[in-house]
Amino acid sequence: MKGRRLLVGLCCPVICTFVAASSFAQTDFDKANKEYAQGHFKEAIADYGTLVRSGQWSANLFYDLGNAYFRAGDFGRAILNYERSLALERHHPEAAANLQIARDEARALEMQQSWPERYLQFASVHQYSIVAAVAFWVGAFCTVALIFARRRSARLIALSILSFSVYALAIFATYEIDHGNKGRALAIITDDNVQARLATADTANSILALPPGSEIKMLNTRGDWVYAELPNNLRGWIPAKSTGLVRLSK
Amino acid sequence: MHSSRIGLVLIALIAGLGANTAFTASPSVTAVLGNSEAVVGQTVQMEIKVTGANNADLPAEISVDGLEIHETGTSRQFEMHNLTTNSSTVYIYTILPLKPGTFTIPPQMIRVGSSSLRTPALKLNVSDSPNRSTRSNQTAQPASPNQLVFAELIVPKKSAFVGEIVPAEIRLGFDPRAHPKLIDGPEVSGQGFTAQKLQQGGENLETINGRTYDVVTFKTAIAAARSGKFDLGPVKAKAQVLTPRGPGTRRSRSPFDLFNLDDPFSDPFFSDPFGQLGERREVEINSDPVAFEVKPLPPNAPASFSGAIGNFTMTTEAKPKSVLVGDPITVTSTISGRGNFDRVNAPALEDDHGWHKYPPSSKFKQDDEVGISGTKTFEMVLSPNEKKQSIPLLAFSYFDPVKERYMTLHSDPIAITVQGGAAPGPSIAAQPSSPTPATMSAVPAKPQDILYQLTERGRMQSFMPLYARPIFWTSQLIPLLILLGFAGWKMRQARIGNREARRIAALQHEAAELMRKLRRNDVSPREYYAEASRVVRVKAALARNTDPNAIDAETAADTFGLNGDSRERLKRLFEQSDELQYSGTHNGSERISPETRHDVLELLDDLRV
Repeated sequence: MKGRRLLVGLCCPVICTFVAASSFAQTDFDKANKEYAQGHFKEAIADYGTLVRSGQWSANLFYDLGNAYFRAGDFGRAILNYERSLALERHHPEAAANLQIARDEARALEMQQSWPERYLQFASVHQYSIVAAVAFWVGAFCTVALIFARRRSARLIALSILSFSVYALAIFATYEIDHGNKGRALAIITDDNVQARLATADTANSILALPPGSEIKMLNTRGDWVYAELPNNLRGWIPAKSTGLVRLSK
Repeated sequence: MHSSRIGLVLIALIAGLGANTAFTASPSVTAVLGNSEAVVGQTVQMEIKVTGANNADLPAEISVDGLEIHETGTSRQFEMHNLTTNSSTVYIYTILPLKPGTFTIPPQMIRVGSSSLRTPALKLNVSDSPNRSTRSNQTAQPASPNQLVFAELIVPKKSAFVGEIVPAEIRLGFDPRAHPKLIDGPEVSGQGFTAQKLQQGGENLETINGRTYDVVTFKTAIAAARSGKFDLGPVKAKAQVLTPRGPGTRRSRSPFDLFNLDDPFSDPFFSDPFGQLGERREVEINSDPVAFEVKPLPPNAPASFSGAIGNFTMTTEAKPKSVLVGDPITVTSTISGRGNFDRVNAPALEDDHGWHKYPPSSKFKQDDEVGISGTKTFEMVLSPNEKKQSIPLLAFSYFDPVKERYMTLHSDPIAITVQGGAAPGPSIAAQPSSPTPATMSAVPAKPQDILYQLTERGRMQSFMPLYARPIFWTSQLIPLLILLGFAGWKMRQARIGNREARRIAALQHEAAELMRKLRRNDVSPREYYAEASRVVRVKAALARNTDPNAIDAETAADTFGLNGDSRERLKRLFEQSDELQYSGTHNGSERISPETRHDVLELLDDLRV
């Protein structure tokens, strides 16, 4: 009886805090939407930004923030937030449509994907992770069954080989997508008149002019400069303040 | 035979040379002034060089008010590059300025075969006082009439700006009777300036103070590196000349040296070179230095000034004129004139917003020997990032040493058509106004509008990939535990299977041992029947996988599917065994008959499932 009371006493504050946070977040989201509807895009951006900074991320939040940036004429950040929305939810039709419009407006450059990355993209990293886990355990069960069976079953052997093959393929696909040109290192140019340069100096020779919203793949960071792979397959240094990483980390 | 081969080779070479000469490039013409500044009464040389044609029709006189221009000679030049021969004819005109002013020698039409060529217009500044433009050492002559050789440095200007290119001429005179041979130089010594590589201009005989000299002319250009006053030169050279013998071996004076000029060539050696050998001596030739003043460039140079000093003109063209956004457009800028072309850089874009520019390439074609006048062509590739109506204006700045001020040339606007992108400027959020039908085609296509705002915040998500989340690895504990349970169950099954196998093996062993015993003839009937019934039980137990003690005669008969006779025999065997076991009869030394044993063994052997 005493233990049950203690459990209830511990759980109640946690549940209440979670519910309160959710309701506050929804309130802030509604407020930002209201600002947007009234044409106060800068205020809407600030409100959405507060939610983003609090780590309460959702595909719709980034999509709405992208719309606010688009209306404010900041195509670079609009594209960045549409990309974030699609990174959270691959099949977000509104974000995909608006991303295309924003790219057309900004004449943003896109990274070219390698052929494995292109062909393996029919599933997400999450899905490949699940497939890898399931295939691994099926293979493991088959192996255990084979070890203790009095007679080796051909079906069991074939199933275990198939399972481990699927597991290896899923691991490869996960690596390719996660480390590919549109993987975790994908970043977006957020400012206008950004030049990729040969060295970490504003006076260094320019390699490529990057319109806002252009995609780059971050390779290294040195001080205020980012070394990145560019859409034309060259590499160059870009001011870090002019770039935004698509996949945020808490 | 050998000589005939050589002859054939020579003929082939000459034929090839002739063919190469015949296939030279199309005729071209250049015209250069020896000096663009002169003083009244001071002659200036003008050279019209016709390349690639043997016969050209040039005017003997050119009429310009204030100038007297006469053709004074021609010279032919042959150049051979990679077995390709180029011939050119230089027509030399002498210009005598009659009055001060700036004169333009108009382009001259030159007929070459069936085609006509045009010389460029040339500008000549003539001043009336020698302090602005004097030809240094114009009257320079051998210091002494006894000299066999002399050198002079001719610099048309005595003052210039830092970096300004000033043409200079070096004249080396040799007495032809000394059979001179130039072995070193000439070179212009001095500090604070750079001189271009000397180009031999020509060679002619001149009579100076009544004596004939073979005068070799070298042309160069000088650029001062710093401001201040310094001396140019002296020009230094070394030559070998044939001189008369020394005073000890001096012969009697020539009877032709009537005026006792102490002419070394009055030595009879020169009149009879085979009479007695002369001395070949190395002599140094030095000219007088020329005082030169260098002025610094005025401050406040334009942003596009890169150090070009002279007088230039610029033309610009662009190709193609209709492109898509991102397509390259080649902008060609041609800068022509006279000056330091090594400091002439590509014109700068006045407004490069919305353009991506690539580094320009350059090509220089000089019109004279030293590269003071010519044409420098720059090709710059521009790529519009957005819709544009014209190429951005190009600016080229230089310093004009005559006007003594900076000049900036601007390109003419070049209209282009860029398609494929929205025109810059209109706000995205701005409400589109309805254009009139007349202006509809001129208005750029209205950009697509974005989709609506979503009011549902949706579920919270993370960018972290699934495999990097703790929950993913925690959830793997479930299949891991199931796998461990599965493996444990399998192990237990195996262990149980092993115990059963051991039991069966023991029963089989027991049955075999009993059968062996029954075949021996040394047991009592009681023991024999007990063991025989035990064999039946064990065999039945093995077949039914049960305990042997639980088997009776009926169960055993059923197990082995015995018919009526065999079943009866089996029952009797069990009854006999029980009887002997519990009744106590048949004890003692009684033995079982062989027939009975045979019957029992036959029954037991027939017990098979």
